Amino acid sequence: MKFGKRLKQQIEESLPAWRDKFLSYKELKKLVRQISSAESCVEYGKADAEAEFVHLLNNEIDKFNVFFMEEEEDFIIRHKELQQRIKRVIETWGPNGTKPSEAEYKDEMAKIRKDIVNFHGEMVLLVNYSNINYTGLAKILKKYDKRTGGLLRLPFIQKVLQQPFFITDLVSKLVKECENIIDEVFPVEQEDEEEIVKEQREAITVAGKGIFRNTVAALLSMQEIRRGSSTYGHFSLPPMDLPDSDLIHSFQLNSPIPIV
Amino acid sequence: MPSSFLALTSFKDKYSTSPSSFQVSSGREVMENSASLQESSLAPSNGTLGNSSLSPSIVTDHMCASALPHVQHSHNPAFISQSSRDLASLPPLDASFSQSTASLIHTQGNKDVSWSLDRLQMFLDLPENTPAPNQLVESSTGVLASEDHNKKTNWQEWADDLINVVDPDWSKILDNTNVLNPRVEVPKPSGDISKQQPQFHQNQLVPHGEFSSHAYPSSTAPPTKPRMRWTPELHEAFLEAVNQLGGSERATPKGILKLMNVEGLTIYHVKSHLQKYRTARYMPETSEGTSEKRITSIEEMKSIDLKTSIGITEALRLQVEVQKQLHEQLEIQRNLQLRIEEQGRYLQMMFEKQKKVEDEKGGVPSSASDDLLAPLPGSKHPPCNNGKSDSEALEQDHSRTGIGPGNAGTNEDKSSSGVSTKLKMLETESTVHDESGFSVSKRARTEK
Repeated sequence: MKFGKRLKQQIEESLPAWRDKFLSYKELKKLVRQISSAESCVEYGKADAEAEFVHLLNNEIDKFNVFFMEEEEDFIIRHKELQQRIKRVIETWGPNGTKPSEAEYKDEMAKIRKDIVNFHGEMVLLVNYSNINYTGLAKILKKYDKRTGGLLRLPFIQKVLQQPFFITDLVSKLVKECENIIDEVFPVEQEDEEEIVKEQREAITVAGKGIFRNTVAALLSMQEIRRGSSTYGHFSLPPMDLPDSDLIHSFQLNSPIPIV
Repeated sequence: MPSSFLALTSFKDKYSTSPSSFQVSSGREVMENSASLQESSLAPSNGTLGNSSLSPSIVTDHMCASALPHVQHSHNPAFISQSSRDLASLPPLDASFSQSTASLIHTQGNKDVSWSLDRLQMFLDLPENTPAPNQLVESSTGVLASEDHNKKTNWQEWADDLINVVDPDWSKILDNTNVLNPRVEVPKPSGDISKQQPQFHQNQLVPHGEFSSHAYPSSTAPPTKPRMRWTPELHEAFLEAVNQLGGSERATPKGILKLMNVEGLTIYHVKSHLQKYRTARYMPETSEGTSEKRITSIEEMKSIDLKTSIGITEALRLQVEVQKQLHEQLEIQRNLQLRIEEQGRYLQMMFEKQKKVEDEKGGVPSSASDDLLAPLPGSKHPPCNNGKSDSEALEQDHSRTGIGPGNAGTNEDKSSSGVSTKLKMLETESTVHDESGFSVSKRARTEK
């Protein structure tokens, strides 16, 4: 039940509009259990049960696809808009602009920085969304095969791999481009700034729902999920290598839901 | 079986006449039903609205009811959460799931469903559509024939296109009521829609967007079926068209569609994209619309604590770092997952090849099969070695179990069961993730 718990935590910490778009892992698990116990009674044939199960999975996948592509479309639009906005600010209030004003420029740039960082975060969270749902699907399929002796997993997962929601290339590309813009828009980090940053990192408290919190939760969840399990096998992922693990754990200082 | 049949029939009768009171009550009714599996399968938690979830099991009998198109607003959390509260066991299921499930129980297979759909198509005068040959198309899905899904998809899409061409606000109205009466709509714009259909399925958007006309029945946002996947290039074309037409306020979807001149793009795609665009454009001060609410609390924290200590810029930098890390980890994980499945595919292929060889040779293990295993790609050594040793183990077992006279048939059975057992063991193994341990335990099991 470890993954189920992790998934639930992730969902709770996720952006509100996303919460009903995740995999219904618990329900599917229940169904698998039902199927495996009902198999003893011939009344509902195995093929029918499997077809039903597959159909449910297909619906879930559809749900992911729709949501993912909608968000992706939004990101494409917003990405472009951000670039336009930066251009406008520079051209209006920048030093060589039509009405140069340092105050306005700084003000606007601050807003842009905030927006762009959150935008970056949201995109990464979408990639995370894709991944966690994929992982859940793989696990459910494995359970199904294990409990019913079926051979559903391998062929089915191949199809999942080709689904739009799993093909996150575009969003990843946008993330990378966003990082470039961020580098341009943020002032170059000074040496003394770095020291201050290191000292002050412990002072950061992150409370409330937010993109940052969600990101931290996602990273830590991932680490936990991959820690290793009793059913570790040929198709399992190795443990995760997260360099700043301690730092990231520290971001949970005030977390009402400890992610341990 | 008989009991489930009867139960289903009673559903049908109950619900066919009152589609409006469908949504929540149907769920409850189903929950009260006895048959366990049937209960869970037929419990439609109706995230989809305005749909007779159960009645379309026999499409022909209730054509009007079943002509109710699928409309779901993806942003209707209140409704979805209500229905999921009502129906404890299952995620939002859409009508087509219930449809085909019901038909499975009721009609023993897909044939009746497609037959019913054929009749429906005739009735509605739809052109026959074949699945679009798109890379993203899932034309070979689960157990259910993809054709059926496509037919359903096309028909629903057509019906939904109708509604949206006629009145864009219908989707809002439909959200709130469960009563749909597309019979009224049916005769009118059928001509336009049927013209749109074949054009759409041609799918020649190579430079621009991609269409994923899923073979899965869509559970949400029916107007965008087959779903349109936007790309930056396509968006650029969109922007150009908008600018030519005088900006986002003045440009009309029709005009944009014409200017863009992208095959397969429908006015609905343009319309919804335009809406998104307008929203994004006119919310710049409130930082990209919806994200504003989400980040409010974090901004408060930032301004109170962090302004005093690190400053907003640094806090943002930190946030970006964490986000970058998450992204990196996700990419790594994804690549791993891809590779794992690739190897699994490869192994299965090897098993099947082996099986074929054994079948042909009547179970006589030969060096030929070893040759099959020879060209293993270098990059995949560890698991490939496992695969090899597995197959060899299989080989040895078969030779051991004897290829006596007249045993060809038995050996075939053994080999096929051996292969499938092997695969199953591979899937369900719970041994240590260690190469030698892996092969050793495998051999141990095979020898059982």
